[in-house]
Amino acid sequence: MLKVDHVSVKRGASVALKGISLSLDPGKTLAVVGESGAGKSTLIAAILGLLKPSHGSITWAGAPVRSCRPALVMQEPRSAFNPALSLRHSVFETVTAGKLKVQDDRLERLCRGLELYPGLLDRRPSAVSIGQAQRVGILRALIAAPPFVLFDEPLSALDAVTQKHTAKLIADLQDEEGFAALIVTHDLGYAVAHADEIAVLKSGRIDEISTPQVFMASPKSEYCRTLRDAAVALGALEPPV
Amino acid sequence: MIASIVDLVLRALIVLAGTALATFALLWHAPGDPAQSIAMARFDALVTDEVIAIVREEVGLDVGFWSAFQSWVRPLLVFDFGNSSVTGREVLPDLLTAISYTVPLALVGLAIGLVVSIPLAFVATKRPGGWLDRLAVAIASLGAAIPAYWLGLLLILIFAVHLAWLPAMGARTPAHAVLPALTLGLGVAASLTRIIRSGILEARAQPFLPAIKRRGVSSKAIGRDHVVPHAAIPVLTVLGLEMAFLLEGAVMVEIIFGRPGLGTFLVTAIEARDFPQVQAVVILTALLFVTVNLVIDVIYRALDPRIGEQDA
Amino acid sequence: MTLSVSGLSAMRSGQTILCPTSLAISPGDRIGLVGASGSGKSTLGHVLVDALRAQSHTVAHVPQSPDEALDPLRSMAFHWREAEQALGLQPGAADQKALFSSLKIEGGDLRKRPWAWSRGMQQRFVIAMALMGVPDLIVLDEPTSALDPVIAAATMGLLDRHLRGSKTAMMLITHDLGLVARRVSQLMVMHEGQIVEHASTKDILERPQSEPSKVLAAHRNWFALPC
Repeated sequence: MLKVDHVSVKRGASVALKGISLSLDPGKTLAVVGESGAGKSTLIAAILGLLKPSHGSITWAGAPVRSCRPALVMQEPRSAFNPALSLRHSVFETVTAGKLKVQDDRLERLCRGLELYPGLLDRRPSAVSIGQAQRVGILRALIAAPPFVLFDEPLSALDAVTQKHTAKLIADLQDEEGFAALIVTHDLGYAVAHADEIAVLKSGRIDEISTPQVFMASPKSEYCRTLRDAAVALGALEPPV
Repeated sequence: MIASIVDLVLRALIVLAGTALATFALLWHAPGDPAQSIAMARFDALVTDEVIAIVREEVGLDVGFWSAFQSWVRPLLVFDFGNSSVTGREVLPDLLTAISYTVPLALVGLAIGLVVSIPLAFVATKRPGGWLDRLAVAIASLGAAIPAYWLGLLLILIFAVHLAWLPAMGARTPAHAVLPALTLGLGVAASLTRIIRSGILEARAQPFLPAIKRRGVSSKAIGRDHVVPHAAIPVLTVLGLEMAFLLEGAVMVEIIFGRPGLGTFLVTAIEARDFPQVQAVVILTALLFVTVNLVIDVIYRALDPRIGEQDA
Repeated sequence: MTLSVSGLSAMRSGQTILCPTSLAISPGDRIGLVGASGSGKSTLGHVLVDALRAQSHTVAHVPQSPDEALDPLRSMAFHWREAEQALGLQPGAADQKALFSSLKIEGGDLRKRPWAWSRGMQQRFVIAMALMGVPDLIVLDEPTSALDPVIAAATMGLLDRHLRGSKTAMMLITHDLGLVARRVSQLMVMHEGQIVEHASTKDILERPQSEPSKVLAAHRNWFALPC
């Protein structure tokens, strides 16, 4: 399991994350929400070991997170792929580079789960729709059966219908595969509908961690109420009853 | 703003110091004995080893690299360029005379370049991809590909030899400056046309222009207020580099047309290994460069203050 | 006066992206133009604005992101003056103070260039410019998708309040039915360059007729998912 223990990260002179603590069990989903600049992307970089915490530790089952080979799904589906290579090449790049074992029927099973027909993988990123590209991004993340997947704004480039469809596919796959998911998003509707817990980040600190039910009905902090009301006003959430 | 100007000036000083050191090192380590070259230039004849030894001591080449460098650089700090190793005359007056021929030539060249390239670029971008545009690009590419010495000789052949309209050699009358300035100016015009053209086309592709147009602003006002400032940024960059081309071109053109000036001054000095003269030219040129680029940097920052911020 | 246009269409590299379309918009209408990405809704917004302008109506268009509306080399004051001149107004004739306070950007320094303002404030400045001179129609193309939810919600709230009771009609272009559901009274659903359904918001949400409307209505929010 993921354990982030009192982590602070400095970026230049300023502190981007201040004393963050959270944990995530296998099979569970944690959504990290907050405004731009709150430190969401810094948190991902720190968990992946790309930024070194100035204080605290980040571990997966007691070892460095990198040792469990976590996967990352990025925000911009098309630019996440090399435009000159076929999608299949991009998907298997990490597998061949890391000499990883992949079960024979795994690709087929993932394609079925993500509603991708296998021939699609022989195209280049520019020749598929943006929603398909995002699903191939998820396929690439999951091909080596990682126990832990990070999603960085996985739906923000998609339109409303495709967003909800893709979110459902991610959730179904998670049920099947049992990976732990950390989803960074600014879409509260998505967080409330799909996460087991929601962590609200504000200016580098965790403002509140709660279940979606508590977040909707009775958030403790003022800021969480503001966020919730904004999501309701934008129609991403149904008003709390 | 003030902090960023101080920053720019500091950088300029580092460039100047580097130039001084590099020039001196190159002259010092160039093949052959500098003292011998100086002595030969001074007496215009083969000289004995004793004479070379005397010259070596007199010019200050006998004290080793760093000491010689220091004794040369120290007076420079108060703009004392010293005396020529060959003639013994003060360097500065001769240098200023040379400059008084070269700078007007370079400026007229630049003016011709601007007068030709700006209208040409505007005409070309009226209809990008049209025949006028392609013609302008072709002329500009051709102009950039033709070296100054070739163009100079071609102009001499046409206007001085065949048509006999203009004098080719010397610098006695203003008419003598026409062909050299044209040679310089056409070269400048070629590269400027391409840059201004692509600058305008790029500026026209800015994402906010359709919205401003949709707001009802006339295309004339859009061109003046939004396209020109954006197009000016790459053009300014190239103008700074163009100064290098102008000086280098001026040196070449002066030699082709037999004009006095920095080019002749520098070539004579290098052949004689006249350290003080060579260094004076190089330092002055570097100073000019640094100043021009400093001015361009300041204009940049006034146009788009983000440029300074990204640097920091 | 009703705004009406007919025969709007658009082609790009030989492909039809907007089939001939006619529209009538009454003063004070609140219209949502919804559809999946690539359905031609932004194109319709553009050609609609251009066509109405050609009929010498005042129409304003607010693009998705302030980067598509403001020149980073020009000050906010310059943009404002330029917009005034384009409308034929005297400098300072538009009630800047009232517009700024109703959109809550009165604290912004007009001498600064756009990037010295936050994105939310930039977007509200663009909306304020659009509202100067009380246009017959304001078209907003995904006005909030480049903003944080809190700022986006505040911006939409301020715009709603400003337009209340005004004769300015509003067209909101979005892929998200949730965003428009409570803001507009009628919806146009676009699919492959055509308006496939045009009805009251209530009807489309509750009794969508066409297939694209059914899909949109079913995906209206995160809890209305078809499983």
